[in-house]
Amino acid sequence: MRVLIVEDDQETADYICSSLRELGHVFEHVADGKSGFLSALDSDFDVMVIDRMLPGIDGLSLVKSIRSADVATPIIFLSAMDGINDRVDGLEAGADDYLVKPFAFSELSARLTALARRPPMQAEETKLQLADLEVDLIKHTVVRAGITIQVQPREFRLLVFLMRNAERVVTRTMLLEGVWDFHFDPKTNVVETHISRLRNKIDKSFDRQLIHTVRGSGYSMHV
Amino acid sequence: MFKSGRTSLRLSLQFAFLYSVLSAVIFAGAYWFSNYEVRDWLHDQMNSDREILLEIFEENGIDDLVKSVDVMARVNFENARIFQLLGPDGTVLAGNITQIDGEEQREYVSAENVFIIGEHEEEISGYWIIDEKFGQYTLVQGTGNHVIAEVLEALGISLVSGFILIMGIGSFAGVWVGRLTEQRIEAISTTMEEVAEGKLAARIPIDETSNDDLDRVSTSINNTLEKLENLMESQVQISNDIAHDLRTPLQRLRQRLEKMANQQAVDTNEAVIALAQTEDIINTFNALLRIAQIEAGDRRERFRRTDLRDLVINVYDAFEPTAEDAGQQLRLKISDQPLYVLGDSDLLMQLISNLVENALRHTPEGTIISMEASFSNGAPLLCIADTGPGIAREDREKVFRRFYRGEKSRTSGGNGLGLSLCKAIAELHYAELMVSDNQPGVRILVDFPPAAD
Repeated sequence: MRVLIVEDDQETADYICSSLRELGHVFEHVADGKSGFLSALDSDFDVMVIDRMLPGIDGLSLVKSIRSADVATPIIFLSAMDGINDRVDGLEAGADDYLVKPFAFSELSARLTALARRPPMQAEETKLQLADLEVDLIKHTVVRAGITIQVQPREFRLLVFLMRNAERVVTRTMLLEGVWDFHFDPKTNVVETHISRLRNKIDKSFDRQLIHTVRGSGYSMHV
Repeated sequence: MFKSGRTSLRLSLQFAFLYSVLSAVIFAGAYWFSNYEVRDWLHDQMNSDREILLEIFEENGIDDLVKSVDVMARVNFENARIFQLLGPDGTVLAGNITQIDGEEQREYVSAENVFIIGEHEEEISGYWIIDEKFGQYTLVQGTGNHVIAEVLEALGISLVSGFILIMGIGSFAGVWVGRLTEQRIEAISTTMEEVAEGKLAARIPIDETSNDDLDRVSTSINNTLEKLENLMESQVQISNDIAHDLRTPLQRLRQRLEKMANQQAVDTNEAVIALAQTEDIINTFNALLRIAQIEAGDRRERFRRTDLRDLVINVYDAFEPTAEDAGQQLRLKISDQPLYVLGDSDLLMQLISNLVENALRHTPEGTIISMEASFSNGAPLLCIADTGPGIAREDREKVFRRFYRGEKSRTSGGNGLGLSLCKAIAELHYAELMVSDNQPGVRILVDFPPAAD
């Protein structure tokens, strides 16, 4: 995965870069908006990480400029500003995701992966499949190894979210945002409880486990 | 003098100008009116004189008329009334007029064209003249206009002395009022200086009995100061709260890191705990920032019409399994009709979620927690009630304070910010948050303003 990092804080940038290197990704780091814009136009990245506060052109304007230059590469905003307005501003400017500092690298990594490999929108997507698990998006049915499994509507949404991100790590926060539209952190273990219920239905009676816990990061669905 | 002094001077000048203009208008009006009235009256006098003379002429003949005209010309004050009796051939038979120049048909003749025996009275600038035939004789009568001059002079004197008197009193009153105002403005400015120096408790003294402009301004400044003082106090409170509630976890984190730094090899478990502690600190910090941001009220621009039911159902769906696992019952009751509120759906979701979580966390197994969204008195009403141990009456208002934790709940986790965040969110939406007794348990009502269309 090729990642462009536009971040002026050297320590944060080093942290992101070294972590990406460990994961085997290729990256380019620039420290200001103008270089960021030139790099974004110049080479082909899978995903870009852009800090909101930058010297010269600020992050918000940079994202707007990149988008008006018809570059559709997924962008994730990093910001020290935690407000729903700030998040909405960022997404409206053309960013695909928004992450508030301080963050855990696992969170950034999961979001980068989710963004970079997001397949082009397929209007005709009606079924999701992973091994012997099949989810019909039209009929709202879940079938594993030929056995129909009854799930609650919210469990269905959770399952679909996990299936769409199969083979990748999804964090607790990503699930809260994507499944429940919670843009805050509930103190109760909402995610854990629902995952546990879903597991009981999807995995319990079968040999192969499909929903896996990734320690310190979140969950992942894979064979 | 201060600005107020200049103001009163300017006011005096404006008043003087206005008075002068008004005086001029009154004078012009009086001139026209007295001229008209006096002329009428003088003509009546001449007519009466002439009728008497005509009677004398008709009864006693020309000789008595000649004598009478001479007498009347002589019995005359300031030569204001003038006469001339002309014979059929135009010779002067009697009277004090020697000659009148000018037109034949004359009504008003300037004094310089009228020649009389003796001097013209100084104030007479002209005469009204009437000719009348007495058979073959002609009687010319005239009356000087000095009465008008006298009247106007009197009027002028009254107006000018009135002007002087009023200006005198006015200026005095102006200066007096100005000084009073100046003193009060001085009081306001002194108070503001004190505030600028940091004495936020300073207030402008207000006279309760009067309610003029300055008092109203002062009252509104005082109210603003009151608000400012409260805001500052709450800012100080926030700082203290942060210091208090962040220092302790920071201290724990530091101790752990110090311990780790002294070890030969880093214990991963220690690091995981340190991370979790960091996470807690960040969460507390975020919650504090969020409350501050919400209290600043700048989020209203993004308000959208939201159906409260969708949010309530979403929160119910999220927490229902958790409640079940904990042996509690979460119940949902919602209205059939849409419950529209104008608001920020993310924040409202957090409000509902916090209230439910709070109930879940502070009540034991077997508790029934009900969520109800209804339409009451034309406005959406949200009610979260539990059958738990409840909150003591005296503690009900305290639960909305930052970092407040009831003695019993000290151990049940949370950063003590949940309900004060709820209060801030409710206030942002102009909704009222009320805690009451559910007999048993706690009932929290969120009373929204009437739905927006």
